[in-house]
Amino acid sequence: MSAHETESNWNYEAKGTTTQKLTVAILLVFPMLIFGLTPIYNIDKPILLGIPFFYWFETVWLVVSAVMYVFAALLLNKMEGADAQ
Amino acid sequence: MNNYIILSVFVALFLVFVALGFGSSRFRRGDMSDLGEWALAGRKLGGYLAWFLVGADLYTAYTFIAIPELVYEKGAVYFYAVPYVGMTFGIAMITMPRLWRMAKGKNYVTAVDFVQDRFNSKTLAILLAFTGIVAELPYIALQIYGMQAVLTVMIGHLTATDANIVTEIALIVSFIILAAFTFTSGLRGATITAVMKDAIIFASVIVIIVVVPIRIGGFAVAFTAAKTLATGTNTLAGLYLNGFISLTIMSALALYLYPHAINGVLSTNSTKRLRMSTALLPMYGIGLALLALFGILIYAVPSALADVAKYGAVTVVPSLIYAEFPAWFVGFAFLGIFIGGLVPASIMAISQANLLTRNVIKVARPGMSSKTEARLAKYFSVMFKFIALAFIFAISATYSLELQLVGGIIILQTLPAIFIGMYTNKLNKYAVGVGWLAGMISGIYLILDANFFIAHLPTLETTFFKFTTPFSFIYIGLIALLINLLIAIVGSLVLGPSKKPAAESSAA
Repeated sequence: MSAHETESNWNYEAKGTTTQKLTVAILLVFPMLIFGLTPIYNIDKPILLGIPFFYWFETVWLVVSAVMYVFAALLLNKMEGADAQ
Repeated sequence: MNNYIILSVFVALFLVFVALGFGSSRFRRGDMSDLGEWALAGRKLGGYLAWFLVGADLYTAYTFIAIPELVYEKGAVYFYAVPYVGMTFGIAMITMPRLWRMAKGKNYVTAVDFVQDRFNSKTLAILLAFTGIVAELPYIALQIYGMQAVLTVMIGHLTATDANIVTEIALIVSFIILAAFTFTSGLRGATITAVMKDAIIFASVIVIIVVVPIRIGGFAVAFTAAKTLATGTNTLAGLYLNGFISLTIMSALALYLYPHAINGVLSTNSTKRLRMSTALLPMYGIGLALLALFGILIYAVPSALADVAKYGAVTVVPSLIYAEFPAWFVGFAFLGIFIGGLVPASIMAISQANLLTRNVIKVARPGMSSKTEARLAKYFSVMFKFIALAFIFAISATYSLELQLVGGIIILQTLPAIFIGMYTNKLNKYAVGVGWLAGMISGIYLILDANFFIAHLPTLETTFFKFTTPFSFIYIGLIALLINLLIAIVGSLVLGPSKKPAAESSAA
């Protein structure tokens, strides 16, 4: 058991290269940013299965977000290393 | 006849639910007289169960009752729930593993435990504990509205004369059962039953979203039938753009401040599993998006519209299901929606009980044994369920969603202490306290103002504050949080950081 598993850690700093940290930041921030930029998806067409773009895009973007978050999680878990949880 | 089949399926599945609830105390058995065991399932939940538990906070009456109700009534602005869900898990990916790590080994059960250590202030901790308790109440009340909506449709079709009284009795009976199994099984009960609830809901949603559009001749028919909704039908009306964005971002920030969400996070068994299950949670939002679209679909189903006219907009989803499906399926889906209110209500009441026990009572009586602590928490969880039940018999809101949005305004005021406090020790406890007070007062004042002082509405109807151009409608949560943040940050710069607590220096 490492120290991480038994003690709380208030000053944890993620290990990893700058490239890794930057990649994680993009993978997490980009999906959120798109959701926040409502004007870019507040349009009617193209319509998919009778559903206006505004509705189906947000729904599809949930899937894209989940995929990007999963890659971020994989990378973060790798950076955290085998000794941590 | 059909109505009796619905009732039989519903009751039979409810009995299975109750058996699971009581039986789950044996799952990964622990000493249920310990608070960590009862309230956090012994912190033994792996990735899958954590996914269901935190997901349980998403598939609630918020999803199948409140959002469809307002999409039906008002249109596009209430589709904000979808980007909110997508965004909130990104925020959780950033903040929650950090909180988990800080909590580990210190036996934190609540975020307030952390705040007390960080700021070394019992007063601030107690303020935040009460904030959490109060913010959960309208959220639980929303769950009860949802359960009531299902019962209203089901019982309304069985008996026209005594429907109200039968519905109320059914509601109270199911709450007594829920209180009993939460008491014995704690978070284990909630987690195991959450799996059943989500399985039923997911199956129902998929069936409905495939079958109904085919029957009515496609979504296009529904969008045409819906004509013009107040905040936009095919797209969002420009006037509501700021309302949409402020609701999205504020709701996304609020979810992981709620005590029940943090409860779920702290019950997972590792940061890696927590991270992975959080990353996958936006998938849950697909069901939410489809359910929100029911608010549009219903416009193409005249018999469902007739039910909604009779039983209220709160019954959009149950009415649509009743109109379009065979009896056995209606019973199945109704049970899903019903326990979809019950399970989250249980989780929320547990988290309120934790706050009251750990962060209020224990501060006054530090010598309390862990057995007493757990026993008290169990009784409090029962008490809070009935307070919420009383709450809905006492307070009426025009739209059930507004209750949750009021809860959001309240819980957002804990953001500086919890989220910012997690990243810096430069905050001053007095500044944070005054900021909290200013946020609460301005939030509550603006709610009263928007509903009663300006518009003279009979019941709570909106959580938007209407500015003149260029802002137009803004969610009050954003305004109150900005006031709070301004005071907390400027005050901390002027007064300097609070004295470093012992906890931090020892962990360094």
